[in-house]
Amino acid sequence: MERLLDTIRQAFDSIRSQKLRAFFTLLSIVIGVFAIMFAGSLVTSIDTTVQGQIDALGENTFFIFRIPNIMLGGGDWHKYARRPLINQKVYNSFRDKMGSNVLVTGMAKSAGYVVKHNILATDPDVTLVGTDENYFLTSNYDVQDGRALTKTDIEYKKDVAIIGNDVIVKIFPRENPIGKTIKINNRPYTVIGTLKPKGALLGQSQDNLVILPLSQFLTYFASDWWSDITIIVRAPDKISLSYLIDEAVGSMRIIRNLEPWEENDFEIETNQSLADQFGSLTGFLSYFGFFSGLIALLAAGVGITNIMLITVKERTREIGIRKAVGAKKRWIVSHFIFETITLTMIGGSVGIFFGILAGGLLGILAGTSFVLSIKWIIISLSISLVLGLISGVFPAYRAASLDPVEALRYE
Amino acid sequence: MDNNALIKIDKITKVYNMGMTEVYALREITMDVKRNEYLAIMGPSGSGKTTLMSILGCLDSPTSGQYFLENEEVGSMNDNQLAEIRNKRVGFVFQTFNLMPRANCIKNVELPLIYAGVPQEERIERAIKALESVGLGDRMHHKPPELSGGQRQRVAIARALINNPSLIFADEPTGNLDTKTGEEIMHLFYELWKNGNTIILVTHEEDIARHARRIIKLRDGLIIDDYINQNPIYA
Repeated sequence: MERLLDTIRQAFDSIRSQKLRAFFTLLSIVIGVFAIMFAGSLVTSIDTTVQGQIDALGENTFFIFRIPNIMLGGGDWHKYARRPLINQKVYNSFRDKMGSNVLVTGMAKSAGYVVKHNILATDPDVTLVGTDENYFLTSNYDVQDGRALTKTDIEYKKDVAIIGNDVIVKIFPRENPIGKTIKINNRPYTVIGTLKPKGALLGQSQDNLVILPLSQFLTYFASDWWSDITIIVRAPDKISLSYLIDEAVGSMRIIRNLEPWEENDFEIETNQSLADQFGSLTGFLSYFGFFSGLIALLAAGVGITNIMLITVKERTREIGIRKAVGAKKRWIVSHFIFETITLTMIGGSVGIFFGILAGGLLGILAGTSFVLSIKWIIISLSISLVLGLISGVFPAYRAASLDPVEALRYE
Repeated sequence: MDNNALIKIDKITKVYNMGMTEVYALREITMDVKRNEYLAIMGPSGSGKTTLMSILGCLDSPTSGQYFLENEEVGSMNDNQLAEIRNKRVGFVFQTFNLMPRANCIKNVELPLIYAGVPQEERIERAIKALESVGLGDRMHHKPPELSGGQRQRVAIARALINNPSLIFADEPTGNLDTKTGEEIMHLFYELWKNGNTIILVTHEEDIARHARRIIKLRDGLIIDDYINQNPIYA
C-alpha cells in the first residue's frame, strides 16, 4: 500500500518536472479516452431513448413496409425498388382479411410542406401524415384538445386536420386553433384537434406535423404511382403477436398473389426488430468512436513510453541508489509500470469526465435522455490501465537493467 | 588463508570491453579481510580501487576469480541474489551522499528496510534510532537539500547502518566535505569500528587513509602494498 502511494506520488512528481511533455502526452490519452467514452455514452443514451420509445409503443405492435425501414449497405436496393407499392387497395384488402377484432391502421407520410393560417406560414418542413381512426391507438401520439380522426372522416374524405405543437407555435401563436382553417398547397382544412407535444428524438422534432385522413392524403398529396402505405398492426397481447404476424404474412401473400416459392415482397418488422436494426446503426457508431479512440491511444502509448524513458534517464541515479540498497529487478520494474499506469489513469479519468460531459450535453441537445454508462467507464478505465501497462513495460525494464555502478555515477 | 575471514577473494580479475580494446581494471587480486578490520584501499584514479569496492560490495561481478563473503561464493551470484546481499550484509557511504532529494531523512534511511520487507512501524522506529546514533535526532523530518554536507553524509551513514550489515563501504566519504566536517565524519567511522563494525574505506587521500588500521595500495589493477598502519589517527 505504501509502495503504491509512493509510486503515485512519484508519478505526480514526474508530471510536475516535465509539465509540457506530460501535458501533451496526457492530452492524447484524454482525446483517445474521450472519443471512446463520448461515443459510448452517446450510443447508450440513444439506445436507452429508443428503447423507451419502443416501450411506449408497446411490444405488441408490428409493421408492414414495402422496403425495410433501416438499410445498412444498400446492396439489395434493386430488389426492394421492384417491389409493388402498398396502396389504398392493398391496405383495404389487408384490413378486411385481418378481421375487425385486430387493430389495423394505415399510415403514409410526406415531408416538406408549408402550412398557412391567414398571413402566417410555417417553414417548408412540415410532415403530412395521412392515416385513419386507429392511428391514435397504435402510435404514441395523443390528442390534446379537440378530437381524433373518426371512421367518418376517412370514409367521406373530410377536409379536417390535427396539428402538432410546432405548427401551432408558428401559425397560431395567440389563438386556439380548433375550428380554424389552415391551408396546405392552397387546400383548406379545418383544425379538429391538436397533438400532445412529444419533444425531440435524436435531434428531430416529433411535433412538426399535420395529420390528415388517409383518403385525403392519398388523393391530394400522393400520386397513384407513389402512395406507399405503412400498415401498423397491434396485437391484443404478446402471445398472439407471432400468430398475428403469421396471419398478416399469409394475408399479404394472398393479396399479392405470391406463389409458394416466391419470396415475400414486403417487410414485416416488430418494434423489437426495428430496435435491433437501430442497434446495429448505433453499434457502428460506437465501433467508430472506439476505434478512432484506440488510434489516438496508440499514439498516446508511444508518447508515454517516450516520457517514461526520459523519466528513467532523469532518475538514473535514484535507480542506482535503490539498487545499491537492495532493490531487486522486479521492484524497479513494478515501480515504473505502476508509475506509468498512474499517468495513464489520470489521463483516462480526465477523458472519461469530458466524455460523459460531452455525451450528456449532446444527448440533451438531441433530446435523448442522459445516461451515465458504467459499462463505458469501466471499459475506458481498463483501456487506460492496459495502455499504462503496455507503454510502461519497456521503460521499466530499461530502468531495472541499469548497471548500479554506472547508475550511481550518473550525473 | 583464514577460514573465518569475512572476505576472501582469489584471483579476481575485472575486464572492461571498450570496443576494440580490453581494459584490465583488476588483475588477479587475492586478499582477505577479517571481521572488525578497518581497511583503507588507496590508489590514484584509474588504479582499480572503485572497481574493487564495487565487486566487494556486490554492486558488480568479477570477470573471473572467486569471491567468498562469509564463506559464501558470491562472485557467481545472479542480480537478485546480489541485491539481497547488498540489502542485508553491505552498507554503502558515497562521496556524493546519494540520497533521494525529495524524501526526508527517515524515508531515506528506511529505504533498505522497505526492500527487506520490514513492516512500516518497525522501519520508522529503526530509522529514528539510526539517525539518533549519528547525531541527527533533531533533523529527522528534513529533506537532504535542507541539510549541510556533513549532515547529509550522516544520513547516508545511518542508511548504511540500518540493516546491521557485516561490512560498511565508504567511497571517498569526505571528498565533498570541508576538512573539519570531514574529520567529524571520520570520527564517526572510528566509533563504528570501535563498536565492532568492519569498515572498508576507499580513498586517494593519505590523511583519510591514515584513519584505517590496515592500508592496501593499488596501482594499475594490482596490489602494490598491504601493510598495518602503525600510527593511526584516533589510536
